[in-house]
Amino acid sequence: MINQEVRVSVKQTNANDFEKDVINNSNPVVLDFYSAECPPCEALAPKFESLEEQYRGKIEFIKIFRQENRELAQKLGVTSSPTLLFFKNGKEVGQRLNGDIKKSEIKEIIENTLLN
Amino acid sequence: MQKTDYDAIIIGAGPAGLTAGIYLARAREKTLIIDEGTGGGQLKLTHLIENYPGVLSLSGKELADTMREQAKAFDCDIRTSVELTGFDFTQEIKTIELDEEETISARSIIIAVGGIPRMLGIPSEKKFKGRGISYCATCDGDFFKGKDVITIGGGNSALEESVYLTRFVNSVTIIHQFDYFQAYAAAIEDAKKNSKISFILNTKIKEFLGENTLDKVLIENTVTGEISELKTDGVFIFIGYLPNTKIFKGHIDMNEAGEIIAGENMETNIKGVFAAGDVRTKKYRQVVTATSDGCIAALAATEYLSGNSGEL
Repeated sequence: MINQEVRVSVKQTNANDFEKDVINNSNPVVLDFYSAECPPCEALAPKFESLEEQYRGKIEFIKIFRQENRELAQKLGVTSSPTLLFFKNGKEVGQRLNGDIKKSEIKEIIENTLLN
Repeated sequence: MQKTDYDAIIIGAGPAGLTAGIYLARAREKTLIIDEGTGGGQLKLTHLIENYPGVLSLSGKELADTMREQAKAFDCDIRTSVELTGFDFTQEIKTIELDEEETISARSIIIAVGGIPRMLGIPSEKKFKGRGISYCATCDGDFFKGKDVITIGGGNSALEESVYLTRFVNSVTIIHQFDYFQAYAAAIEDAKKNSKISFILNTKIKEFLGENTLDKVLIENTVTGEISELKTDGVFIFIGYLPNTKIFKGHIDMNEAGEIIAGENMETNIKGVFAAGDVRTKKYRQVVTATSDGCIAALAATEYLSGNSGEL
C-alpha cells in the first residue's frame, strides 16, 4: 500500500456489508455503533482513530451509523450510542462498552480478549 | 524557579473548568484544560437551559460550546478525548499523565471533573446497559421512536428529560420511589401537563428482565410491598450523579461520598490543588454554582501562583 500523507479515516460499514466486513473479517473487529447528536460518540471518535493507528494490521476498527442501520442495531440488541462490539472469528466476544468509554477500557479488551 | 509546561492545568471542561480557564487565561496564566470527552460536562447533555442568568433559553450544548469558545478566545489550551491516567501532586511542580503516554507539568491544578451518572445498583442493570437501559436522552432518545419507555427518578433531570423524550416516544412512564418530586415546580408542571407522560409513584425497580434486550421491569410498591411486572421498550435512568473521583482516592481528601473536600476558596488539602464544580463537597449543583466555583478556584489559583496566598 502506498504511504499516504493524509490519514485515512476509520472504515465505515452498513447493514448490507456487515457480514463481509465484520463477520467474515480475517482480523478481530471493534465495531462502533454511533449516532448523531451524541456527545459521547464525538468523544470516542478520536480515541477510536488513534487506536486504529496503533493496532493497524492486527485489529480492524469499523464504524456504523446507527440511524441508517436501525434494523441491524435492533437485531444485535444495540439500543444506546455509542456501543462498541468486539468480534473474533465472526463471533461477538468480551463485554460490550457503551456511554462514556475510556481508551484504556478498549485497550484492555483488545489485549485480553481479541489478541489473546 | 523551574520551568513548567503550564501555570495551571484544569482537569475537566464542564462549566466549572471552562470558567476557571477563562479567568486564568485572562490573568495571563498559561492554562491547559483537559477532558476525557468532548467537554461541556453534564451541561452538554441537558437539552434546554432556562435558569442561567443572561440566557433566556438555550440548549446545553450551545451554552457549553460558547463557554469553550470564550476560553479559547483568551488563549486557553483545550485538549479533549484525553484520559488522565496518572498524576503526581505531591511536589511544588505537579504533573499529570495522559493516555499513559505523555507527561505534562504545571504549578497548580484545578480538579473540575464533575460526576458520572449514578446507577441503581441492581445486578441486571449492567446486563441491559446499552440493551434497553440508557442514561442519556439526547444520545438514545430516537432509538425509541414510537415506543413506550420508562424513566426512573424524581429530580430535575428525570422530569425534564422525560419531557424531552416525548418528542420521540409514544409514552413515558415516570417511576419514582417517593410520592413527591425533588424537582422544581416548573419542571413538575411541564411533566404533568404533557399528555404522553404518566406517573407511578411510591415505587422501586426490583429487577430488569428480558432475553437479549430489556422487555419488562419488576416493580415494587414501597407502601404496600406489592410486586408487579411492567412491559417496556426501554428505561432511562436519571437518579443523579456520583463524583468522578476514583483516580484521586487516597491522594486528595474526600468525604464518604467521594466528593473532594474543598471550602469557600476551593482549596483542597494539597497546596496548589483546587476543586471546583460538582466534584466538591456542596449541597446545590447547578450550572451557575459550577461556573461560580470555577471563577473562585481560578482567582485562588492565580493568587497561589503569584505567591500571595497568605501562606508559605
